[in-house]
Amino acid sequence: MTDAAVTLTGISKRYGAVVANDSVDLVLRRGSVHAVMGENGAGKSTLMSILFGLTEPDAGTIEVGGVERRFRGPADAIAAGLGMVHQHFRLFDSMSVAENVVYGAEPTRGALLDRRAAAERVRELSDRYGLGLDPDANVGRLSAGVRQRVEIVKALHREAEILILDEPSAVLTPDEVTSLFSVIRRAADAGTTVVLVTHKIQEVLAISDEVTVLRAGRVSGRFATAEVTGPQLIEAMTGRDVVPVSNAGARELGGIALSVDRATVVEQGITRLDDVSLTVRTGEIVGVAGVSGNGQHELVEAVLGAVALTSGTVEIAGTDVSSLDVRRRRLAGLAVIPEDRRGEGTAVTMTTAENITAGHHRSAPISGSGLAKGWLKRRAQREEATRLMADYDVRAESDQSLVGALSGGNAQKVVVARELSHGAPVLIAEQPTQGVDVGAIESIHTRLLEYRDAGRAVLLVSHEITELQALADRVVVLFAGRLVAEFSRAEATTARIGAAMTGGVTSGSGDAPEGRTA
Amino acid sequence: MSAPTTERTSRRLLASAVRHPAVVPVGAVILALLVGAAIVAAAGLDPVAAYVAVIEGAFDPRSLDYTVSVWAFICGMGLAAAIPLRMGEFNLGGNGQLVLGGLAAALVARVSPLPGPLTVLLALLAAAALAGAFGALSAPLATRLRIPIIISTLLLSPVAVAVVSFLVRYPLGEPGAAVAQTERLPDAAHLMSLPGLTYSNIGVIIIIAIMVAFYVVDSRTAVGFELRITGANRRFGTYAGIHTGRLAFGAMAAAGAAAGIVGAIIVMSPPYRLIDGALLSPGYTFAGLAAALLAGGRPALLPVTAALFAVLQVGGASMERSADVPRQLSDVLQGVVIIVLALRTVIDARRTGRAG
Repeated sequence: MTDAAVTLTGISKRYGAVVANDSVDLVLRRGSVHAVMGENGAGKSTLMSILFGLTEPDAGTIEVGGVERRFRGPADAIAAGLGMVHQHFRLFDSMSVAENVVYGAEPTRGALLDRRAAAERVRELSDRYGLGLDPDANVGRLSAGVRQRVEIVKALHREAEILILDEPSAVLTPDEVTSLFSVIRRAADAGTTVVLVTHKIQEVLAISDEVTVLRAGRVSGRFATAEVTGPQLIEAMTGRDVVPVSNAGARELGGIALSVDRATVVEQGITRLDDVSLTVRTGEIVGVAGVSGNGQHELVEAVLGAVALTSGTVEIAGTDVSSLDVRRRRLAGLAVIPEDRRGEGTAVTMTTAENITAGHHRSAPISGSGLAKGWLKRRAQREEATRLMADYDVRAESDQSLVGALSGGNAQKVVVARELSHGAPVLIAEQPTQGVDVGAIESIHTRLLEYRDAGRAVLLVSHEITELQALADRVVVLFAGRLVAEFSRAEATTARIGAAMTGGVTSGSGDAPEGRTA
Repeated sequence: MSAPTTERTSRRLLASAVRHPAVVPVGAVILALLVGAAIVAAAGLDPVAAYVAVIEGAFDPRSLDYTVSVWAFICGMGLAAAIPLRMGEFNLGGNGQLVLGGLAAALVARVSPLPGPLTVLLALLAAAALAGAFGALSAPLATRLRIPIIISTLLLSPVAVAVVSFLVRYPLGEPGAAVAQTERLPDAAHLMSLPGLTYSNIGVIIIIAIMVAFYVVDSRTAVGFELRITGANRRFGTYAGIHTGRLAFGAMAAAGAAAGIVGAIIVMSPPYRLIDGALLSPGYTFAGLAAALLAGGRPALLPVTAALFAVLQVGGASMERSADVPRQLSDVLQGVVIIVLALRTVIDARRTGRAG
């Protein structure tokens, strides 16, 4: 291809045992908008860090404008014509727009900053791309959308020909997203190559010319946007072969164990969860589908009590827990397998015994009773841990091994053992098999089905449609924080769920619009 | 075995050795000693003689008693830093908590009609209560108003120091004295001395008892377990149902109480007065903070790291006398240790930041 602005060939990068990028090829056509998409942990961020010189690849080459380059740091990448707008802005709040834009590449008059030239430059770029920026405004007073434009102008000021936008819509309101798209379009029309890193399908379809999909560090799909459908992209993102575990179907449904009524979560003016109501009965697994970032995590945190509901109520096993803290909600009968194992599910610097008993350390057998209340019985703690490790097949050298030293699958089994072993009436499993090997997936799936069959309620949040189809008795779909569809087990086809995940369907069991087949 | 394989194996061994938790603290101490030696050598003096003088000075049988008392005070202020550090919080308000403890003890001693041991006990409790309350104040500021504990302790501390300084100078000051100090405390408020020792008194035993208590709570109780979980991963703690706000309240109260008791002990030891500035000038707060950081907040290591700084501090004075090296070198070494430990935090953050 002669019009390639950037060509990445055979990029590989591993962090310890984790392969973040595995022989990734990426070609960015000059003047195009190229979306790089994939789930969290698919390797998008690593690939962009390599492209922008923040990380050196273990193998592979980078060509910019047909010349092979080796970036030792972002400065090299900037000199080669790259610019990056990070998800978290890197701006000085107390300084003006113009000062922020020229910082590091200032127009000078003698030894002094030429303020007039700086303001003029911002005005010129702002007009050319239709950004409407006031060079003298104080950055600290600007909204997220405007601050993002300041970052874009900052890159353009340094004559970036290739602009990387990392999850640019994550912090924006819908209106701001619309205006961001028109800025991207203008920049591309003016010859800038734009890389859009995202996991939101509707954005990819709305703005990009080409798409590269990553899954587990590899390229799993390359498409021209005009010729691809949402469900095809979802399949490329999530279509992992899951060892089928047969769900024989729920035997008998009991009463309502978990009830979420009109739950709304607004954070910093952005509605993350919008009027969601759902119930889970005992003996039932309800799946929550959705492309990540559409409110699933907020739903989990709102039920757990880690994030406050703006409005609405949550009932666990008949108790209204809306105003209770996490500990009392757990006591009321809730267990949670969190999405982010290292972030929320474990303390990697502590031992397996400590991790597998954490949260249950104030009750028997680990805590004493009566006068010994509040004391840890360390032998009992280790015995309990050893028992659970055997029960759940956690493979570690001993119960004193640090969780950080375990494989992903074994660390996840520690979480599963801790959350399942106490028989809480309601279990939330958020991405329970993310980043674990196939054997562990099968064992975790079996455990979840057994948990349901023991007469308990399970809310299963997953980005993997196949996982939901394998386990769930009922599937609801979240899109942009709203519950947009609900399917029975029989109705839950990939096409229907996929269409609802992209916002294509607003009502339940009707026929999904036929997409072009994959 | 081919050469590249051996090379890779040795590199992996090296990499895992470098990650061992003891490497950074021990490295920090060695680096600090080297930097100190370089400074001494650059000044045209003999670094070996200087360090020998430090050791000899600190372990001189005649001053060992004094070294032990300094060690105890550094341990006490080390506790004030280590308890919150265990849950990942930094208490930089040791100075304020220390002087408030001294103030409370001086006030109780002045008015208490009780016999000796009871007056001492009451003074210690009052010091723990006042300084503990002052320390605990930072917890609701963090949970309700989102002011980080490291900031509020740092900024509130000088306020307490100034208030105590004012009280000692005017309302509580000894009339006609050249120095801002209280009157000599009544005999009932003098701490019992230990047989045959001049500097170390019953206060050393009290501080050791608090350290033992911290060790037991840390390793044997549910609260200690929660402290360690929260320190290891706060989000994990929240998900497990730990009330981190309440935990911070307790940790800061305990930290303040430890500092307050150190203040009370100093005031109830010779010369049995609350003297403006006398609690702060030996620099126990900073040395204690350095010792706590070096120990990573671990209760079992704190006495060891505190001993290191006690030796530097006491030995520094004799180094000045015999090797002609200013004792400020001790402060330089403390500073280098803290900088190296702080660098680790930055490097850790970079490393995890990249693995996205």
